[in-house]
Amino acid sequence: MLDNAGFVDVRMGEQVDVFSGSVHESSAKNFETFGLTIFGRKPGG
Amino acid sequence: MCNAHVRAPNRILEMTMVTNVSPSAVDIEQLRDNVKSKYSDVATNPEEGFHFHTGRPLAAMLSYTAEDLEGLPESAIESFAGTGNPFSWGRLRPGEVVVDIGSGAGFDSLQAARHVGPGGRVIGVDMTQAMVDKAIEGAKDMGLANAEFRLGYAEALPVEDGSADVVISNGVINLTPDKMSPMKEIYRVLKPGGRIQIADIVVHIEVPQEAKDDIDLWSG
Repeated sequence: MLDNAGFVDVRMGEQVDVFSGSVHESSAKNFETFGLTIFGRKPGG
Repeated sequence: MCNAHVRAPNRILEMTMVTNVSPSAVDIEQLRDNVKSKYSDVATNPEEGFHFHTGRPLAAMLSYTAEDLEGLPESAIESFAGTGNPFSWGRLRPGEVVVDIGSGAGFDSLQAARHVGPGGRVIGVDMTQAMVDKAIEGAKDMGLANAEFRLGYAEALPVEDGSADVVISNGVINLTPDKMSPMKEIYRVLKPGGRIQIADIVVHIEVPQEAKDDIDLWSG
């Protein structure tokens, strides 16, 4: 998706189990849901 | 008939930032109203308890340090509801222009304003008036003149073309039914060579279309 939007040098950070211990922890696990960080750059400059 | 997938909680629906991005058929205006209502509660009653983590415990989970939080108003910390730490990709540079999409009560924006200093500028955008009001008060409390907050949507950022060095966001794009729309907006507002440092959610098991199209599962 980020590539399709035109970004380059796209990188993903570590995934974090952000729903661990929350009300919907089990549902989150059903979908293997994680928080993560993303870096990307607009070409040029 | 429900199954485990259809019982997916909000914020787990259609969060496939990286893989499947098929749009949802939910009514966007109704979805926005529902999300505004939920996050107005996060702004005004942060102690209420939500299906996602908030506040200092969440910040610690996401590796924000005590130094990061030092000097931030409690109003910004208590309503924090992110999904990662955009600054894990690096501290922002002095003088940079930053756009924070879904700035909430200002948790990341106020930190960004400290990073970029008086020669830089932060524009926080949020669709929830209660959050914008809270962020403005937070900036005043900190004496920051380089942070401003605007009411607006991720899909139609109230920001000039090619004006930002960096766009940050934290747990917000997953709440938009068509992920490409905010991505195009981010691209539009960035300067050539500008960068994104965003945090969001990824799901590794595809959410069924019927669940994506059920608005109650987005913001219940």
